[in-house]
Amino acid sequence: MLTNRAKEQPRRVIAFSNATYTLSHTPALEEVSLNINEGEFVGIIGPNGSGKTTILRAILGLVLPQTGTMQIFDCACENLRCYHRARIGYLPQKGKIDRNFPITVFETVLMGRYGVRGLFHQSGKEDRTIALQALEDVGMRDFKNYPFGQLSGGQQQRIFIARALAQQPQVLLLDEPTTGIDTTTQHTILELIRRLHRELQLTILLVTHDINLISPFVDRLVLLNTRLFANGHPCDVLQHNILSQVYGDEIIVTDNGYVIGGDSHHE
Amino acid sequence: MFEFLAYEFMQRALITAFFVGGVCSWLGVFVVLRGLAFIGAGTAHAAFAGVALAYLLQVPPLLLAIAFGVLTAWAAGLLEEKGRMKLDVSIGILFTSTMAMAILFIGLIKAYSAEVYSYLFGSILSVTPSEMKIIVLLSIVVVATLLAFSKEFYFIAFDQDMAESSGIPARPLFFLMLTLIAITVVLSLKAIGAMLVFAMLLIPASTAYQLTHSLSRMTRISIAIGIVTAIAGVLLSYWFDLPSGPTTVLLQTTLFFIALILPQRHTGRSTTN
Repeated sequence: MLTNRAKEQPRRVIAFSNATYTLSHTPALEEVSLNINEGEFVGIIGPNGSGKTTILRAILGLVLPQTGTMQIFDCACENLRCYHRARIGYLPQKGKIDRNFPITVFETVLMGRYGVRGLFHQSGKEDRTIALQALEDVGMRDFKNYPFGQLSGGQQQRIFIARALAQQPQVLLLDEPTTGIDTTTQHTILELIRRLHRELQLTILLVTHDINLISPFVDRLVLLNTRLFANGHPCDVLQHNILSQVYGDEIIVTDNGYVIGGDSHHE
Repeated sequence: MFEFLAYEFMQRALITAFFVGGVCSWLGVFVVLRGLAFIGAGTAHAAFAGVALAYLLQVPPLLLAIAFGVLTAWAAGLLEEKGRMKLDVSIGILFTSTMAMAILFIGLIKAYSAEVYSYLFGSILSVTPSEMKIIVLLSIVVVATLLAFSKEFYFIAFDQDMAESSGIPARPLFFLMLTLIAITVVLSLKAIGAMLVFAMLLIPASTAYQLTHSLSRMTRISIAIGIVTAIAGVLLSYWFDLPSGPTTVLLQTTLFFIALILPQRHTGRSTTN
């Protein structure tokens, strides 16, 4: 840590300080302190109901802390419309998308510009250029006029990533981006996220229950189970004595850091 | 055959049909896409309860109808957000309790009032000049709001969570959408009636939904169906002495089933990863 600080002071973009979030009278996150620096790729792991999604919603300002604070870009305001939030791109957990919803791929991506532009502004030429570039970035430009509902799950996920990129974010929040997608495509999606992280210098927070899938990609792993249990390099977090606090004693960590048993909570 | 154009009541009926048919089918696009059909139905019955109370208190019905409609639409919206109970159950309770209020208020009215029933079944041929002015005015308000927020409403309909997290004031706009539904229901009440206004919101848009993958085309088709069937309903009711509301709705239903059996709408080439 000290050597790191001596090299250069990384800019902090997100800072939780003793923050507690309560959802319908039960704590979803308790006294979490966590700093995220510019350009980091952080994986957030934990069992179901451990507050993984809540931490992303907290960064978006959709939930507010009962005690403690949360700052983004050194701004602690509670205003959901604070302009800082437009610089956060978000890929929610795969919800129920109406497959017949009348929308093309391009229109889906263009929606990423709506919040940036604000009310009463029609999308202009610049917005279209940015949306096209975002489609290019995820390798889906050829699909721009396809009906969104006709795409496969993996392709839809890429389009949603493009939609988040169209916001021209500094921070990208990804909630279970690989759930419900076949294994080959999962890797393609993660490779894409890694490439975007490097090329666009994005700060990325990725929430997942799939520890093994994500650990080779991230700079840092954060282990949550309402409280923060571990926060560090994947090698340091993927230890039996650490993971067993959250997943129980049955969890096995192999010599090469492969985790068996922590991933049993498939939905 | 077109001698009816000389009658002022027919002129008013046709103008009213144009506005009611157009506004309902336009807003209906968002009602269908956002899945608010039952909220529309609940709101109609609440607005009718407002009208019944107005007749009981002998005050003009417009404001009470809007108040009842807006409150019910908002209550339904809150219930949808909280999600403590399944939406069909909570809306069902709102729906029937407002209807109970309406029947109670009508029962309390001392004198027999046939006029109240015209709000239940609609009577476009008896729209008065001042009622028509209000219908046109409210229609313009609704359409102007739809135009101003169309891209946000579209986004909310697609995915409200995502809209919210992209920095769009999704929640206030969702309640604005509910308010527009209430206003539209109220402006259509005299012309179509509380029982059937729901169909005007639902059927043209869901017919158009089956025919296209593009929102702008869906909107255009829906509005065209709404206006044409509303005007045709008035004309058929004049020529064949039929009640206009049900005629319009049954015309729309016919188009809906025709669209249903038409070949599937154009879909993109199927693709794999």
